Amino acid sequence: MRVLEPWLAEPLGELVRESSARLALVMTSSGQVVGQHGFTRSLDVMAAAALGAGILATTGELARLVGSSSDFGAVVHHGAQQGVWLAGFDTPRGRWVALVVFGRNSTVGLVRMFFQRFAASVREVAPVPVPDREVLAEGFERELDASLRALFGGG
Amino acid sequence: MSDHSSPQQSPSFLDLGERLRQRGQLEAALSVAQAGATRYPTFAAVHDLIGRILADQGDDEGARSAWLATLECDATHPGALKGLAFLAFRRRDFGDAERYLEAAAAASPRDTSILTALDRVRSMRPANAPEAINIEDPVAGLLLLDNQGLRLAGGLGSGQDEQMADAAAATAAGAAREAERAARLLGLGAWQHLMIEGDSMRTALLPVAPQAMLLLRRPPTAPVGRLLAFASRAVQAARTWLGNS
Amino acid sequence: MNPERWQRLLDDATAISGVRGAIVVSAEDGLVVHEAAVEGLETSDVAALASVVVRRAESIATASGDSQVRLCTLTAENGTVIAAQGEHGLWLVAVTEPDVELGRLRLMLGVLAPALG
Repeated sequence: MRVLEPWLAEPLGELVRESSARLALVMTSSGQVVGQHGFTRSLDVMAAAALGAGILATTGELARLVGSSSDFGAVVHHGAQQGVWLAGFDTPRGRWVALVVFGRNSTVGLVRMFFQRFAASVREVAPVPVPDREVLAEGFERELDASLRALFGGG
Repeated sequence: MSDHSSPQQSPSFLDLGERLRQRGQLEAALSVAQAGATRYPTFAAVHDLIGRILADQGDDEGARSAWLATLECDATHPGALKGLAFLAFRRRDFGDAERYLEAAAAASPRDTSILTALDRVRSMRPANAPEAINIEDPVAGLLLLDNQGLRLAGGLGSGQDEQMADAAAATAAGAAREAERAARLLGLGAWQHLMIEGDSMRTALLPVAPQAMLLLRRPPTAPVGRLLAFASRAVQAARTWLGNS
Repeated sequence: MNPERWQRLLDDATAISGVRGAIVVSAEDGLVVHEAAVEGLETSDVAALASVVVRRAESIATASGDSQVRLCTLTAENGTVIAAQGEHGLWLVAVTEPDVELGRLRLMLGVLAPALG
């Protein structure tokens, strides 16, 4: 498991452990990854983050279209061998998204239960956000590389 | 491919052996039966016959071995279960006798002789007589395992082999973890036991020590309250066994 | 599926003194299908945790060469969770106080649960 900020390690670790998650990804609603478990390639992380954020945005739009007063909360895909849980949650850092992939030894109910605990824990332990600083173009790629190194360890 | 595990029809050696036994010609009966067992080693009926002959000869240990061999061929053979119950009754181990008769009743629910025998055994047991506990006996239906799912001692009872006992131990450890977690997260405190009831068994899983738990398996006719009372004593015995090991 | 009939089943179960609440659960996904609120607990939590215990109990039965599990009772210091199998993977789950009439509840759930489905 890798996280960008240390305070996220414990809540994410508990979510992964208690829900028996095979893969887990935590990101901002714009797709910036802040923590992951189980992924082995950065390309997969970026793709999953982009897709996850996109799916939630799409279902949010669908909710609006069908007259729902709020978004649908969570999206679940249930396959024969594994399932996917995708949900947004509010944090002091803004709206985040969690993606959990689980196998046959877990259930949607269990993932949901521990996701709710995870979200509550993040709200409780997340430090006060630092003011946004201007990101220059030449610094952007350097920051992205640094994030990916932090998420995958090494160098 | 022909099956040599049992004869195609009821063999004459079985009839001959039984007739010799009934006429009291036990040596001759044993000779015939053992020849049959050599030819058909996995034929339950021949081992059952040997058990009956040896019991008639007063060789209880030999009879017990023969009936256990019968159960290895056929896990619910009523003759073997009744035979083992009879041996237990003879040594005044009414707890064992009751357990074997319960298994026989589950296998042959229409056999009224078994129910009659069961009533008799139950009436002969003093109300407070404790059932003997042997943690290491694989036939006792007591399985001690560690929290990694490895078997420490015991087994699942008659008719259940070591492989099954190991498989049960492996799954029981996971069940104990879930039971502990469920009780804790639902605010119910420490878990005490998990009782699993089905058509063919009653199984209780109990914590023994931080790194060990006990699985107790009984036929579905075993009264639940008594099963749990016995399980409680078995936990104490398991703790003693762990302390001595 | 008959929510009115399920409600009657839950009402019968919760009428027993010491029963904090009862729910109908889909064990496959650990979700509540129908509920009578459980005092002091989220029914979704009860469903999630009880269904995992039930599935593990079924694994023990399978490994031991036994047939279906009909009833699964988790007893703890401060109460009990008891689950009885119905049809189509549905289970009737009750959460109780420690002093519940467990014998009566076991029999009742055993009678009620097959009507689920």
